[in-house]
Amino acid sequence: MTLLNNIPPAFLLIIGAFVLLILPARARKVGAIALAFFGVYAVSQLIEGSNVTPEFLGFDLTLLRVDSTSKSFGYIFTLSAFGALIFSWSERCRLQNTAALVYVGSALGVVFAGDMISWYLFWELMAISSTFLILARNNKRSRLAAQRYILVHLGGGLVLLTGILLTIHETGSIDFTKENIYQNTVAKNFILIGILINAAAVPFSSWLPDAYPESTIFGGVILSAYTTKTAVYTLVRGFPGEEILIPIGCIMAVYGIIYALLENDIRRILAYSIINQVGFMICGIGIGTKLAIAGVVASTFCSIIYTSLLWMAAGAVMYRTNKSKCTELGGLYKTMPITMVLVMIGALAVSGAPLTSGFISKTLITAAAEHQNYLWTWLALKVASAGIMLHTGIKFPFFVFFNVDRGLRPKEAPRAMIAGMSLMAFLCIYLGLNPGQLYSIIPNSDILVEQDSFYAIYIKHFDHVATKFQMLLFSGLSFFLFLPMLKRTRTISIDFDWFYRKGAKLLYSGIDKTFNSINRAAEHIVIKTFLPSLVKFIINAPASLTIMLFRPIWEESLSADKTNIKKREQKIISQFSSGTFPVAYSAIFILIFIAILIFLGRSLS
Amino acid sequence: MATKKKVTRKNTTTNKAKAKTKTPEETSSAMDNPYISASFWKAMWIICSISVLLEFFIHRHKHFEDLESSVLGNISNWFGFYGMFGLIACSGSILLAKGLSVFLKANEDYYDDTP
Repeated sequence: MTLLNNIPPAFLLIIGAFVLLILPARARKVGAIALAFFGVYAVSQLIEGSNVTPEFLGFDLTLLRVDSTSKSFGYIFTLSAFGALIFSWSERCRLQNTAALVYVGSALGVVFAGDMISWYLFWELMAISSTFLILARNNKRSRLAAQRYILVHLGGGLVLLTGILLTIHETGSIDFTKENIYQNTVAKNFILIGILINAAAVPFSSWLPDAYPESTIFGGVILSAYTTKTAVYTLVRGFPGEEILIPIGCIMAVYGIIYALLENDIRRILAYSIINQVGFMICGIGIGTKLAIAGVVASTFCSIIYTSLLWMAAGAVMYRTNKSKCTELGGLYKTMPITMVLVMIGALAVSGAPLTSGFISKTLITAAAEHQNYLWTWLALKVASAGIMLHTGIKFPFFVFFNVDRGLRPKEAPRAMIAGMSLMAFLCIYLGLNPGQLYSIIPNSDILVEQDSFYAIYIKHFDHVATKFQMLLFSGLSFFLFLPMLKRTRTISIDFDWFYRKGAKLLYSGIDKTFNSINRAAEHIVIKTFLPSLVKFIINAPASLTIMLFRPIWEESLSADKTNIKKREQKIISQFSSGTFPVAYSAIFILIFIAILIFLGRSLS
Repeated sequence: MATKKKVTRKNTTTNKAKAKTKTPEETSSAMDNPYISASFWKAMWIICSISVLLEFFIHRHKHFEDLESSVLGNISNWFGFYGMFGLIACSGSILLAKGLSVFLKANEDYYDDTP
């Protein structure tokens, strides 16, 4: 099919997503799976080199930039969508179906974009479509989480847009290449921060564990694979060898370990595990050598597979038990043995155990650090790979399937879910046993020629296998030694989202206190004190003035008879308040008034 | 105490995640203290020892040969380095997490009153 050589896979999925919207339920579900499968095929048909260049705002967009990097990401994006769509057969609704396909499509759009404008457009489409996967959970918590999620991403998108516009202004070129981005330092920094927000780099990390665990079961599986990995892709394109990424990646890796250990919700453990893994990849991008970049692409490829598998398993457990907390789960191996075995495969792969995909991918990054003699980076990466064994490799399966029996006897996961998980578990082991298959599609594969066979990795370098096993076993040992300390409690951990959640509330109550106390003070002074006394003065002034005027006369004429004077005062006050005066008084006042007028008129003229 | 209870044991594919479970009728406070069987510990120690002893029979390639002068660069080539490293790194992470939990833990309804 030479026709497919020039069709951006993004359009296939996005247009397909909207076509599926009008189909009945069954056709829609089959159609989505077929579309994802077709997506894998379409990616495989792309020919290396750039093509498809429509004009937009006077610029030539590049919708297809096909090389081994973009193709590797294209393969894994469509493949994991295929697995996730099979998994969600019984759970996926119309909205989620379309939102997921648009999300995957736009992620493919970013991966194949060769210019910054189409990159940015697909990037924003990803943020918008993914929000629907959180909203689809349809409860108050998910609505609020979706609100925060989209705000963070729109904010990040604006930072990115600022960088892109500055670059275009500086160079006049929209090329999405390292050379073009590095022309202007300010623009480069804006772009870097914009990408790092999507990559969930510390301190912009909290949106991920805040939003993903609030999504639907299917939503969690889909979300776990794309946003952060697309950010990794853009960093591979734009910032290979950017040294600041090394410490950023190391911090992310350690931060992910600490928070995953503290967490009680299983999907939040996995969310922090994503940050730990992305930290590993970002560190690799910072190292930036050919081997490191090959390792980053290989790690991303494998990471998407086992992360999806673990999110699927967590989803299957939630689907059957309606629970997601370590303090409520336990002992599920009795009734969900297949899910347990598949989780163990994912857990071994995520820990980088030999014979799994984790071993053949992550070791490339640590080897790259070693070749560059980056001792501290190497140590940090080793800590990260030991730590991931701890929280994702053991803690997650242990607290869900073993630990204590809480009397839960759910049925085994539905067949579709098992099928989706089995596909991912198969890929974990298949790639682990056949490293050559993976190494042949990633970039810089020429330097891995000597390591691309089972023999080279597991027999020739058996010392690596043995030492890795040793490290994993002792990591596992420390988990069990410190098990009493790891006992979960019904708590959450405060993360950076504190600043915009509690912080926003503090700002709100601060503003509330400041302005409302000014308001209250003003009300007290003006409305409660000043105005009533003014009114009282206006009402009482004529009577008081008249009494003041008459009092000396009365005191003279009535020879200080106090009761009599009091009576007359009362009479005047009542006459003023009712407005009734004897004619004589009025006449006297009028005369006095006229006299004053005449006097004033005389003196003025 | 727990050994007297009716227990079920399950060998997993990885021999790491073995656990004894108690009957659900027990009180929640007892239930929250998972019990690891003595035989599991025995298996764990034996496997860990084997993984260290294996080093006698394999030729480990040297790390950081250019950094011979650096102490850490050398330590990475010590006997049993990876086991020690795994143990120390993970214990350190757990202790750090435990320490930080004093500041970071909050009730589940902590954010309920926020937008």
